Amino acid sequence: MRLADISFNNLRRRKSKMVFVILGLAIGVATVVALFSITAAMRDDLQDKIDQFGANIVIVPQARELSLSYGNIAVSGVSYDVKELSQEDVPKIKTIAFSGNIATIAPKLLGAVQAKGAGESRALLVGVDFPAELRMKKWWEINGAAPSREGEILLGSRAAGVLMSRPGDSLTIDGRKFTVSGVLKETGSQEDSVLYVELSAAQALLGKPGKLSLIEVSALCKACPIEDIVGQLSGVLPNAKVSALQQAWKARRQTVDQLTNFSLAVSAVVLAIGAMIVLTTMMSSVKERTREIGIFRAIGFRRTHIARIILLEALVVSVVGGVLGWLAGMIASSLTAPYVAQAAVTVNWNPALAALAVGLSAMVGLGSSIYPAMQAANLDPAEALRFI
Amino acid sequence: MALIDIRGVSKTYNSNGCVVQALKGIDLSIDEGELVAMMGPSGSGKSTLLSILGAMNPPTTGTVLVDGIDLYGLSVEKRADFRHEYIGFVFQQLQLIPYLTAVENVLLPLAISKRPHREQEAMAFRALGRVGLVDKARRLPNQLSGGEQERVAVARAIVNEPPLILADEPTGNLDTQTGEEVMRLFQSLNEDGLTIVLATHNPENTRYVGRTIRIRDGRIAS
Repeated sequence: MRLADISFNNLRRRKSKMVFVILGLAIGVATVVALFSITAAMRDDLQDKIDQFGANIVIVPQARELSLSYGNIAVSGVSYDVKELSQEDVPKIKTIAFSGNIATIAPKLLGAVQAKGAGESRALLVGVDFPAELRMKKWWEINGAAPSREGEILLGSRAAGVLMSRPGDSLTIDGRKFTVSGVLKETGSQEDSVLYVELSAAQALLGKPGKLSLIEVSALCKACPIEDIVGQLSGVLPNAKVSALQQAWKARRQTVDQLTNFSLAVSAVVLAIGAMIVLTTMMSSVKERTREIGIFRAIGFRRTHIARIILLEALVVSVVGGVLGWLAGMIASSLTAPYVAQAAVTVNWNPALAALAVGLSAMVGLGSSIYPAMQAANLDPAEALRFI
Repeated sequence: MALIDIRGVSKTYNSNGCVVQALKGIDLSIDEGELVAMMGPSGSGKSTLLSILGAMNPPTTGTVLVDGIDLYGLSVEKRADFRHEYIGFVFQQLQLIPYLTAVENVLLPLAISKRPHREQEAMAFRALGRVGLVDKARRLPNQLSGGEQERVAVARAIVNEPPLILADEPTGNLDTQTGEEVMRLFQSLNEDGLTIVLATHNPENTRYVGRTIRIRDGRIAS
């Protein structure tokens, strides 16, 4: 017989109590695992969305002039001639070491024009590569269609209002005629005041063939530091200023941090409840076994032997609770993540998380059993056996 | 030669502000190989004296030497080691572990020894053989009669081959015939060389012992 046999015998004898402890720990671990998995899945999903749905790097010419705001970035002065980027710069972007992380390249030429429809106004004309632009701006909703032929124009909602133009109407820009193919639904940004034409048409209108004002780049950065991509782009485009959109990064970090903090807080509460369940159950188990422990002490068991018996029981129970909790947490998160995240997120069956869950459960189980184990170990055998 | 030497032992309990003097200046020597009964009515202090002898209950004053070892000069853990090596207990109320079989109960003192499993089993079955219970080794305590349970408790006390057996009211829960059987078992163990000290209030048991020490009101009366 070994001390472990005494522990296992006792576990078998007190099945219902131990099942209660296992359940308490399993629920705690399952909650932690589910929250952790869902948070991780949401973090990945959020990163994917930010990376894919919008530019996170902007390339503009090195400029000293006044700038005009576009989106969240500053571009060089529209009404002043500055040193533009050229279309030859676009292929260079694909030559960087992290080119595999580049999802979309959207070159643009900006310029101020006189537009005349039913109404008339000065406006910002943006020449774009429509397929790339539409890929990057998934949030665009177009009343009508995006320009697909030469001579077609897409209007921001406010521009359409000022120019009193609707899809199908004609519009004259600096004397050249365009047909409105579509109007953007209000986005709440500067895009509402912009006129979008095919890049080549804008170059012709503004008299800047082959020139670009800026290039927006969408890079997939789940695992790569965006600063490295920025550095590599600066290397291949020495005359350009390459900037990462820090705002998007900060927003992402903030969202992830909030989710993580929430998960940590809930996990701490749930684990504290689990620890209390273990503590009270082990305390009552020790109390019930006062005589038994008295016998052990009387026949020569040291205090450390008693503590080992109690802690081994706690370890077995908490490891079982940890494994069951991990399984339950993973199953629960797989089933609920799409609803919680409101997106098709994928939960990863990560072995490191399994080890973490079991380790956490063992830590909580053992930690909560230290006091009961000490109580048991310090039982006075004479008192326990009613000699006193 | 004295195996047990008790000098000036007294024990005072303080229970809820009420001071109870359980033992008052006990001097006692017990030789190796003796079978001794401590007789006295309930509350006379015999169980307290037995627990002090068993290295479980420090006296308020006095010294207790067993085999020349000053029990209460030892640390708590060393006293546990002493109990394991020197003493076999037979407790009042039997005190078998209800979820362990007879042989597992007998194996208990060996759980903290370094002996291999096979040797442990052999020792346990030897002890059960000594009390005539090998055929019931796999039964749980509640599947055994009172006398059989008492014999399992005796087997557990002797399995580790200690030189001293302490038994507290070993026949207290048994009918007369079974009580006599148990007392004869103690007699037989004593003939094998074990020193045995019993605490009992049953005068019938004195027939089986070599010496009777009468205790009354915490003192040795005779």
